[in-house]
Amino acid sequence: MSPFRRIWLWPLLLAGWTIFGLIAALLGEGGVWWILSWLALSSPLATIAICLARSRRD
Amino acid sequence: MLCVTGLPLVFHDEIGDWLDDDPPYAALPAETPMANLDRMVDTARQRHPDQSIWYVYVDDDEPRVVVGMLPSLDADRALARYLKFDARTGEVLKEIEPQATRPLTFNDVMLRLHRDLFTDLPGGLFLGAMGLLFLVATISGIVLYAPFVGRQRFGDVRRTRSPRIKWLDLHNLLGVTTLAWVLVVGVTGVVNELAQPLFLIWQRTDVQALVRPYSGLVPPRRDELSPVQQAYDTVKRTLPGMTVTSVVFPGGRLGSAHHYLVWTKGSQALTSRLFSPVLLDARTGKVTMVVDMPWYLRALEVSRPLHFGDYGGMPLKIIWALLDLATIMVLGSGLYLWLSRRRSPIEARLAELQAAE
Repeated sequence: MSPFRRIWLWPLLLAGWTIFGLIAALLGEGGVWWILSWLALSSPLATIAICLARSRRD
Repeated sequence: MLCVTGLPLVFHDEIGDWLDDDPPYAALPAETPMANLDRMVDTARQRHPDQSIWYVYVDDDEPRVVVGMLPSLDADRALARYLKFDARTGEVLKEIEPQATRPLTFNDVMLRLHRDLFTDLPGGLFLGAMGLLFLVATISGIVLYAPFVGRQRFGDVRRTRSPRIKWLDLHNLLGVTTLAWVLVVGVTGVVNELAQPLFLIWQRTDVQALVRPYSGLVPPRRDELSPVQQAYDTVKRTLPGMTVTSVVFPGGRLGSAHHYLVWTKGSQALTSRLFSPVLLDARTGKVTMVVDMPWYLRALEVSRPLHFGDYGGMPLKIIWALLDLATIMVLGSGLYLWLSRRRSPIEARLAELQAAE
């Protein structure tokens, strides 16, 4: 993996998810769009939790 | 400071409901029609004959009508007093004293600290500038991220080493994962601070141009005003599908001396954030024009929900609060790293990090 991809792959994916989540609830009419938005915007929080759990285990 | 005061503000409505001691609304069937708005305005005038009616606000969420009054229409908003009515019975539920003289609520204090440090426009512009610096700091963090994570695996927090390295790793992890959210909330926060100047620009340019045909005419006296209820109904008929949120009386800072300014909004997720004002001739009650909002006020309106996080139910608010907490930790750890920095050039510190791997 190139250094750029190694460093920025996850941050860019999370940024993409975040932007999707922010827009989904704004443009979508409730229902499934809200749920998608909650899932997408939880991804940074889930990532933090997973990384902290992983480094505690290591 | 902005992040800390912002945290309770995410739950502004819930805290307000929880702390308020307002009398409950009358228990009435859901289809009960609204009481006459002019009767409520008359009640407000009788109770406070020394005040000028500023606007009538009709809530679409609760059966609530609020009549705002000012000592004079060019007075400071902190001097405004409000009467809250039950929209169906037209009975007064509560008198809300001017912010300048009543004890501030918890929400008031948080909002003023967050928005303008109790100083209105200067404080707002100052905090807007602080917001810009916050964005600059975030961007500098992006620039420094790549050299500082070096060859580490994404998201590793090295706990066995010095506290400095642990906090550096935490700072990087929390900062880079929340990056997009932080940038969006930061940019929209700065835009929100510009609300007052943007509305002033709109008033001085577009609105002035619209009411130019009326220049030289004598503004209507109080007893010449057409009924408020009629203005409300006319706009509802003119713009079916839009919700009328408020009727602003002529002669205020925003709008015209000759017109009612009636604010309407759409009914869908996005359009309910986009307001369209309608000008009605205050004497005849006829629609003068449905005003198109300029792009900068549209941008302001879209940036509000993206800053407040109040557009996706309670789960979104909780996510907003957690992301805000993460941001507070990024700022805290950044401050710690900066205070405990060694007085060595950045290249030396990078070399040290690389050697440690």
